[in-house]
Amino acid sequence: MPKIVSNSLSTAIVLAALIILSNRSGSGQEKDLGSDRFLIRAKHIYSANGTWGEKGEVLVYGGKIQFVGDAIDVSSPVTILEVDSLMPGIVDAYSSVGLSGGTSEVSREITPEFDTYSAIDWGSRDFLEAIEMGVTTAQVIPATESVFSGLACIVKTAGEPTQRTITSNGSAVIAVSSDPTSRNRARSRPDGIYMRQPTNRMGVVWIVRSSLARIRSGGTVDGADPMSTALLKEILNQKKKAIAVSRTDFDIRSALDVGDEFGFKPTIYGGDEVYRILDEFKKRDGQVVYSALARAAATSRGNEGTALRWNVPGRLIEADVPFCLAGDALLDQARFAFRFGLTPKQAIAAITSRPAEILGLSERIGSIAIEKDADLVALNGDPLQPTSSISWTMVGGKIYGNDMSKQ
Amino acid sequence: MTNHLMKYITGIVVLLSLSTSNTLLHADELLAIQGAKIIPIVGDPIAVGTILIRDGKIEAVGKDIAIPGEAKVIDGTGKVIMPGFVDAHNAAAMTSANERNEFVPFLSVVDSIDPVSPYFEECRRNGITSAAVVPGNSTLIGGQAAVIKTAGQYVNDMLLKREAGLKISLRPASGNRMSQLSRLRKEFDKAKRALEKEAKGEKPDPSAEIKKEGDDASKPADKPEGGTEETKEEGSADRQPDSGSDAASQAAGLEALKKAIQGEQSVYIFCENGMDVTAAIQLVADYSLKPIFVLGPSCYKAAELLAKRNETVILDPSLVYWETNPRTREDKKIIVPQIFRAAKVPFVFQTEGFGARTSLGSSFFWYQAATAVKYGMPEKEALEAITLLPAKRIGIGNLVGSIEVGKDADLLVLTGEPLDISTWVDQTIIDGKVVYERSKDEKIKRLLAPEAE
Repeated sequence: MPKIVSNSLSTAIVLAALIILSNRSGSGQEKDLGSDRFLIRAKHIYSANGTWGEKGEVLVYGGKIQFVGDAIDVSSPVTILEVDSLMPGIVDAYSSVGLSGGTSEVSREITPEFDTYSAIDWGSRDFLEAIEMGVTTAQVIPATESVFSGLACIVKTAGEPTQRTITSNGSAVIAVSSDPTSRNRARSRPDGIYMRQPTNRMGVVWIVRSSLARIRSGGTVDGADPMSTALLKEILNQKKKAIAVSRTDFDIRSALDVGDEFGFKPTIYGGDEVYRILDEFKKRDGQVVYSALARAAATSRGNEGTALRWNVPGRLIEADVPFCLAGDALLDQARFAFRFGLTPKQAIAAITSRPAEILGLSERIGSIAIEKDADLVALNGDPLQPTSSISWTMVGGKIYGNDMSKQ
Repeated sequence: MTNHLMKYITGIVVLLSLSTSNTLLHADELLAIQGAKIIPIVGDPIAVGTILIRDGKIEAVGKDIAIPGEAKVIDGTGKVIMPGFVDAHNAAAMTSANERNEFVPFLSVVDSIDPVSPYFEECRRNGITSAAVVPGNSTLIGGQAAVIKTAGQYVNDMLLKREAGLKISLRPASGNRMSQLSRLRKEFDKAKRALEKEAKGEKPDPSAEIKKEGDDASKPADKPEGGTEETKEEGSADRQPDSGSDAASQAAGLEALKKAIQGEQSVYIFCENGMDVTAAIQLVADYSLKPIFVLGPSCYKAAELLAKRNETVILDPSLVYWETNPRTREDKKIIVPQIFRAAKVPFVFQTEGFGARTSLGSSFFWYQAATAVKYGMPEKEALEAITLLPAKRIGIGNLVGSIEVGKDADLLVLTGEPLDISTWVDQTIIDGKVVYERSKDEKIKRLLAPEAE
C-alpha cells in the first residue's frame, strides 16, 4: 500500500515543520500560522477504540491527527478549541450523498460499470446536510432499480473535490431484492417495444445467476458491452468486492447462495430481517450494513413489509457478526440503537469505527488516534442525547458546518 | 342530569366488567404514588414527592402528603412522574384520515375511531394520554374533530369532547389554490347568509329545514364537561358518509359551518405554506372564525403574521429541514422551533403531518421536545409544549396537562428524566387507572429481543 507510506512520510515532514514553526513561535506570527493547526481540548472524548468519556486533547495539523493525550504542551502557535464532547467523524456506508440526475438506471438491468462517482455533484446541498449531521465519509451507493446497479464510490463530505475522493471505483452493487421489478411490466401489446425484465423477484435472481454463469463459461451478457463483461469477471475472480442490497430474510439468503455458487462473498446492505436467520448468517461469515433504523416510523413496515425490530444491532453484536449502522440521520440512529440496548460505546462504534472496518478504511478513519485523518465531530453535550447539538464538524483538519444556530 | 349520571355509572360498570387484563382500580379507590420526582408542569419540580389520587382525580400533590391506610401505593422511588402527553392533532386514530369526498362538514371522526386500533396501544406505550382526533389534511372541509382519552373499551368511554372543531384545509385537495379558497368562501358565505336570515327572523333555506334535534345541547367549545360526555345519538342516523348531496347531510353540514362562524366551535385550519397562512388569516377575519392553525414546515415564513394573533400553533413533525433559495441557490437550514420562538409564537408538536419524517425520533413527543431544547428552548417550556399547552389548545386545559389538585390523574411514570434518550414510560395512568405497564408489554419485549417468528 504505497499510499500509507507516503502518508507517514508526509506526517514526518509535518512534524519536522511543526518543530521548526514552534521555534519561531515567539515572533508574533501566531495568527497566520494557527489557522490550520488546532489543539482541541475536549471535556469528553468518545472514540470507540481509544479514549472513552475522559477528557483529552487532540492536536491536528496537515489534515491529520498528530497527537492525542491530555495536557499536550504546545509552545507553537495553534488555534485552541474548547469543546464539551469530541467524537470521530461519522462514516455512512450507505449514502446517496451528492448523487445527481437520478440515482438509478432504469433502461437496462445489467449496468455494472455505471459509476456513481462521475454523477456526483460536488456542490450539492447533500454534502452540507451531511456535514451538519456529523458525517465526514460516505460511501455512495446507486439506487437499485437495475439488477447490476453500478459501482459505489467513497468520498469525504467536504474539501476540494480532488482531495475528497477515497475510492472512485468502488464495490459493485447488486440488487438481490424485489427493487428492480418495480417499474417493469411484461410486454403489454404484441407490437409493444418496451419490455424490460425482470418483472418479479425470481427474475432478479435469475438475471444475477444467468449473467454470472455466462461470463464464467467465457461468454458475454446479452446487450452488455465489453466493460460490463470485464466488470462481471472482476466480481467472479474477486478483484471487485460485491455489495448485495437485500432486506428480507429470503433475499439475504439468496444473495449468499449466489455468492457461494460463484465463489464470492457479498456484503449485505439493508439487512432488515437478518435477525431471522442470524445463526445461519453467522455460520456463513456474513457481514451486514444495517440501514433499517434509518426509516421513519418506529412501527412501520418497510418496502417489502419487513417488520422493523428495534434491537437488531444488539443481536448482531451478541452473535459477533460484523455490522454497522448506515443511512440517513446516523447520529440519531446511534442514539436509538443505544436506547434499544447497545452500550454507549457500541452505539458510537456502530457509526464510526465499525463502518470504517467494513469499508476497509480503519487505518484512515473511524477513530481518534495518531496519524488518522482529522475527521472529528464536536458536540455541546453527550453525543447520544437528543438534546446535544453538533458544534462543528472537521474534515481533513478543516472546520465546516459551524452550527451557530444554537443560542 | 340523573340520566347523565346513570350513563356514567353504567359506563364504568361495563368498563370494569370487561377489563380483566389491566390492573384497573375501582373508581372510588385511593391511589398514591410515592417516592418519585414530580414534574407538575405548573410550578417547580418536587425532588421526592407524593401524589394522591381519588376517583381518578388528583387529590393532593406535595412533599409531605400523608397517605391514608386504605390507599393502594405505587412505589415511585427513582422514577419521574409527569402529566401524560397531549396530542393536539392526529388522524392516525381513524381508519382513514380523509373521505374521498372533500366537502364533508357533516361527518364526525367519532364514527371512525376504533378503540382497539394499534394507534391507541402506541399512545399508551409512548405516554400520550389525550388526543384530538382531527380529519386529515387532504380535504376542503373534512368534518368534525373529537378530543379523547387514549384508553377505553368504547369510543364513548374515551370521549372528552364530541364536537371539538371543524377541519378545513387550504391545500387544494383537487384543483388549485384559487378554487380551494373560493369553494371554502362559498360554503362559509352560505352559512353566513343563513345566519343573517335567522337573525332577521326569516325562514332558513329549505335545505336547512331538516335540522338535527339536540344541536342546541352542544356546549361552548372550550368548556368540556368531565371525562365521559353524554352520547348524542340524535342525528347520527342522518349522516351519509359517502355523499354530501342529500338534504339531511347538507343541513347538518350547514349547521356545523354556522357554529364555526358564530365561534361556538373551533376550526382546525391546515396551511401548507406561508401564503396559505395569509389566506387563512383573511378567512378567519371575514367569517369570525376561532382558528387552530395546523402548519406545514415552510409556514415559518408567516411567523410574524401569526405572532400578532398570540395563538398557539401546531407545528409539522419535521422541525429541522433544508431549503434552497431558487434564485440565489443558497442553501439554508431551517430550524422551525427556533424561528417561532424568536417570533414569540407559542407552539406545540405533532407526530404526523405533511413533511417527511426525518428519523425514528419524529414519531415521539419527547423527542420533538428534545429537538426544540437542542435548539435553545428551555426544557421547562419544551415539556409544557407536549402537555399543558396542547391541552389548552384543544380546550381541555382545565382537565389535563399538569399535575394539579382537581385535575384528571393522567400521569406517566418514567424511568428517568423525560428528555433523556434512555428513559422509558414505565407506567401510563389515565383517570387514575394504570392502562400501560412496560413490564407486561409483550410487544416491546419482541422489539428489543428480535427473534425469527
